[in-house]
Amino acid sequence: MLFKKKDQNKFEGGGLVLFPAVDEAIAAEKILKAADFEVKLVAPPPALRKGCDLAVEFNIVEKVGVERALAQKGAYFVEILPLKGAGELLDVVKVVNFDDACMVKAGNMKLTFDKNTGVILNISGGGCPDIPYLHLSMVDKKITDVARPKDNGHTLCALMLDRAFVEAAEIFNKEEL
Amino acid sequence: MLLICGTIPRADAGLLIGKARFDGGRLRVGNAEIPCTQGTAALASAACAVAKHCRNSAPRAVFAGDTGGGKGSRLLYDYVSKNLPRINPNILLMHYILPVMGLMKQVCAAADKCDPRPVMMADASSMYAAKAAGLAAQFDIFTPDLSEMEFLADAEAVHPAYISRHLFRAKIARIDELIEAAYRQKSMAKTVIVKGAIDHIVQDGKITFTLDKPDLPQLEAIGGTGDTISGMVGAFIAAGFSHYDAAVAALKANRKAGECARATPATKVREIIAAIPRALNHNENQKGKRA
Repeated sequence: MLFKKKDQNKFEGGGLVLFPAVDEAIAAEKILKAADFEVKLVAPPPALRKGCDLAVEFNIVEKVGVERALAQKGAYFVEILPLKGAGELLDVVKVVNFDDACMVKAGNMKLTFDKNTGVILNISGGGCPDIPYLHLSMVDKKITDVARPKDNGHTLCALMLDRAFVEAAEIFNKEEL
Repeated sequence: MLLICGTIPRADAGLLIGKARFDGGRLRVGNAEIPCTQGTAALASAACAVAKHCRNSAPRAVFAGDTGGGKGSRLLYDYVSKNLPRINPNILLMHYILPVMGLMKQVCAAADKCDPRPVMMADASSMYAAKAAGLAAQFDIFTPDLSEMEFLADAEAVHPAYISRHLFRAKIARIDELIEAAYRQKSMAKTVIVKGAIDHIVQDGKITFTLDKPDLPQLEAIGGTGDTISGMVGAFIAAGFSHYDAAVAALKANRKAGECARATPATKVREIIAAIPRALNHNENQKGKRA
């Protein structure tokens, strides 16, 4: 049982799920463990405390997958936060125009599409293992015909790609009008 | 021997271990064919092209199938942590993997048991894990792009998605400040190759080389054109180059390959990799003419 044998004391996840009540935190821990996420119940630091005195620590990189797993089981939480650093995800989006192509950058991710056809030409940046998978499933397809990256991805890189995707879709839809 | 460790986008692949072979269009490890997309496949393909050019042995690969759920990444961490002293590579290049701080610490502990300790390289999420776990100083080479350089400069960030906004607004002109900040808080490897509109080589916190020609802004859009640089650096070091010379050769070859491939924002990384042999020959001829 390779994935179950873990020293919980050494686990450093870097992310917290905050809950309104203790029983909701305990239920969420069970849901996430059943979905193979490495998690542990912790007391949130006073500065981050919102809701009850119990939180679930998890690998912050897996934010998208954790949110989806909780939503699928109808689990309610107050907020997901990193334990250190900026509390909010980067929301700065930049747009670079080439002749017939438009590159949208969100954080460390970039999505480039054909301005005339809406076909996704390339996805670049990032480093988490769902990005090559999303690259294969999205590139050379029309931006209006593919699922949002956050629906199929698991990680923060997928979330940044989702931000670029939403902005790119908006730009393409405006140009089509 | 260069050992490349990373994930590939096939959920059912398990672990693939063996020599990496690239025939100009397809990457193979053992009997498995791996799509040459951005990520570790692009990195390994570029490394194969350089190894062939230098008449050096092909890189060895430890790949794990992972589409983001993390099971393949954990298999990979486990295999590397248990087997690295036995494999005893000259260079360990860690690439796409779910960043797990505790497991990256185990990889570094396994590297300490090698004799001699391998040249330690990290790119992509392996670099995220190394920095977040406070292990950057144990690495010889990082290969960030500009947004990842901002992440290295943010003492608190555990992933580029959570860097402070003031850092993300950094312009190229401020790269020296990012380098200084990252070096001060020990988030830098000994050599850092910053890939971007202007490529920088940073050694022990000082910029020692920059490159901005040929100017090909479209390369930024092409997924995998940073991975190719990292793979080529590892392969040049395996062929006996110094870290600095390997970095310079890889940066020049990547830009030249983009030019040879007549890259546009729609170009795929496999087309850039296919042009690497021509780029290497061209750069070598230019060097010969100058000598």
